[in-house]
Amino acid sequence: MTIRDAYDAAVVGAGPAGLAAATLCARAGLATVLFDEQPAAGGQIYRAAGTTPLRAGTILGDDYWRGRRLVADFAASGAQHVPGAAVWSLSREREIGVSLGGAARLVRAARVILATGAIERPFPIPGWTLPGVMTAGAAQILLKSAALVPAGRTVLAGSGPLLWLLARQYLEAGAEIAAILDTTPRANRRRALAHAPAFLASPYFAKGLALLRAVRRRVRVIGGVAALAAEGSGRLEAVRYAAARGEQRLPADLLLLHQGVVPNVNLAMAAGIAHRWDESQLCFVPERDAAGATALDGIAIAGDGGGIGGAEAAAEEGRLAAIAAIRALRPGADLGAEEIAARRSLARWRRGRRFLDALFRPAFVPPADETIVCRCEAVTAGEIAAAVDQGCTGPNQLKAFTRCGMGPCQGRLCGLTVTQLIAARRGVSPAEAGHYRLRPPVKPLTLGELAGLPAGNAAMKAVARD
Amino acid sequence: MADEFDIAVVGGGLVGAALAWGASGAGRRVALLDEGDLALRAARANFALVWVQGKGLGLPDYAAWTARSAAAWPDLAAALGGETGIDVRYGRPGGLHLALSEAELERRAAWLGRLHNQSPPYTVRMLDRAETARLLPAIGPDVVGASFCPDDGHCDSLRLFRALHAGFQRRGGRYRADSAVDGIRHAGGEFRLATKRGEIRAAKLVLAAGLGNARLAPMVGLAAPVRPQRGHILVTERVAPFLAHPLATLRQTGEGSVMIGDSQEEAGFDTGVDTGVAAAIAARAVRAFPLLARANVVRSWAALRVMTGDGFPIYEQSAACPGAFLATCHSGVTLAAAHATVLAPQIAAGALAPELGVFSARRFDVPAAA
Repeated sequence: MTIRDAYDAAVVGAGPAGLAAATLCARAGLATVLFDEQPAAGGQIYRAAGTTPLRAGTILGDDYWRGRRLVADFAASGAQHVPGAAVWSLSREREIGVSLGGAARLVRAARVILATGAIERPFPIPGWTLPGVMTAGAAQILLKSAALVPAGRTVLAGSGPLLWLLARQYLEAGAEIAAILDTTPRANRRRALAHAPAFLASPYFAKGLALLRAVRRRVRVIGGVAALAAEGSGRLEAVRYAAARGEQRLPADLLLLHQGVVPNVNLAMAAGIAHRWDESQLCFVPERDAAGATALDGIAIAGDGGGIGGAEAAAEEGRLAAIAAIRALRPGADLGAEEIAARRSLARWRRGRRFLDALFRPAFVPPADETIVCRCEAVTAGEIAAAVDQGCTGPNQLKAFTRCGMGPCQGRLCGLTVTQLIAARRGVSPAEAGHYRLRPPVKPLTLGELAGLPAGNAAMKAVARD
Repeated sequence: MADEFDIAVVGGGLVGAALAWGASGAGRRVALLDEGDLALRAARANFALVWVQGKGLGLPDYAAWTARSAAAWPDLAAALGGETGIDVRYGRPGGLHLALSEAELERRAAWLGRLHNQSPPYTVRMLDRAETARLLPAIGPDVVGASFCPDDGHCDSLRLFRALHAGFQRRGGRYRADSAVDGIRHAGGEFRLATKRGEIRAAKLVLAAGLGNARLAPMVGLAAPVRPQRGHILVTERVAPFLAHPLATLRQTGEGSVMIGDSQEEAGFDTGVDTGVAAAIAARAVRAFPLLARANVVRSWAALRVMTGDGFPIYEQSAACPGAFLATCHSGVTLAAAHATVLAPQIAAGALAPELGVFSARRFDVPAAA
């Protein structure tokens, strides 16, 4: 595959937002490239939509197959698809550092659209690092890409639509589920009610209701669950939790944790795009305008990476970002009709989101002291609290004090927990506690790859020592 | 009120923390004032070397000061370990400076030759390739030789930082974050420091605020002509132990990760990571140790050193406002022992020893030749 040094438009991420954005850009005649880490287009939501070994449409549901249309349109658009590509940096000058097949290269683009999607919200509980405990999202990847379903006693725990979706997909695939432990705070229902009218009129209502009914009919669901812990010596043996009937212990072979998804912001943060704390979604989101444009010239963000809105909304955001890019590079391009259609559709898909945000908003309860928060460096909640008590005011000083967040995951698995822990301990808002300062490379690349990049005379002089 | 102190140290980095720890105890009430989570913080970009080779060309007193601190380091490490239970992982296996070409080796030898004429209080030996390979079996074919100094060592600078803070608080010191100093008044024999979290009063004042000293020093009749010099550092994932000695620009940490640095760039206050500089650092590291080509880089960052015009520290007491001291340097790890055990007691006693007179900022007052 020949990668050029420069493109009109570069899109990062081949989920719904990235696919829709790249498709429109390429159709408008822009030299368009789409970099994606996965071997096949689709992102997490439509993972392997074109290649999954699951044949029966029923297991993954109709929504999943909608992804096939996006993938097919993209394939026919003329955009260059670069799978297996890890984007590890983006500069203000829109120079993209990408690692591909063991070699790093720098690619420039006149317009960059980040469609990096969502990651699962960290869910630290005692014992979550035991073999036999994984996230629901990871389990779903195995289902989608390898048709892998669990044997033995499987427990799903947490909150959020994905948990229920996975439950139904497992049931359709013939797996057994011992129980769903629902941690959704009961008070959320009352708060969500205020947004119920919009939700009832939204496309999510009928879908969600059917999903809940289908799962509840066949699985034991225990509500109001708190104080989750995974137990076992060497691997998971049981799940401990507190519920209305007191402390319970449930033998289990596999525990799948999930408490919603949050924007994957590492690349945008490392590029220097400003982020703000979103109190309704309990996460950091990038500052951007209605077309996804950020304060950095020519760099836009579309889809869940800019705030969780779901797959269909992501595709429309991708189209709007693409329309803005096309207009910037091809003045006179008439895209009025496309823009109106995308805005209308986006409004429809955004309807009801506030209900979902309110209903599934996880309560933040500081994890028990012995809980590992930073898995890379094995830093516990108790150590973080001690550092805060010693005067550490934010995540960056916490790094210096404890190494928390300094491992290969770059804070993806601990960032939000750390922000919320520090905020709770100090009695300040998460916005004031702040976030890890992120820098490239946001994905690991080898020293050899980095060494192969052009350095320039000034750089060589800066590192020479006598 | 608890806002009155015997000594207020401004700056919670390695220099400030070492001085605060060293000055606390013995019933003294010491405050350590710091900025917030996103301050410039040169302490985050240090390389954790306790380093003497090559130090002090042009100022023999600096070579002596450095060597004195390095000699005091074992006691510092032991004292911190005893007080806080934190092992700062200090070791002095001897350090090397690699040359990747004959020209580099010649320049290194010439530099050390000039230094030798000053009779520095340490010995540096030039090694040829075979001698270098005996100490560092993993070197690549481009390595032609090295300079070696048995007095060089390193530590875990994060643990040092944590231990100084922990020890300071254990001795009764008060650490105050989010307390950038906006103004200083000197009246009635005491200093009044305005911070957004209220006023701090102290009989003595130590400015150890790194680049912030340039702004603060004139408030007490001192001058701190310092500028930022950017340095990049790359850190790899953990790899099997392969490096028994620290190098001037590359070391393996106790965890197994490899720190690689460090550039010297005049880039103002920009702390952005420059891909070209990172590539240049990586290229030299891979030439030095080809096995590192396969190691993943998991972090990189850039931070600002605190540099004076001649690269040497400034230590000075204000003549206009007695009791106000200034301390700045770019070797906060190496000099931590001297700061904590020599300089801090002098500050607490109210006078710097005459031997530190050469580090006064007055040396910069000499007008440049017209």
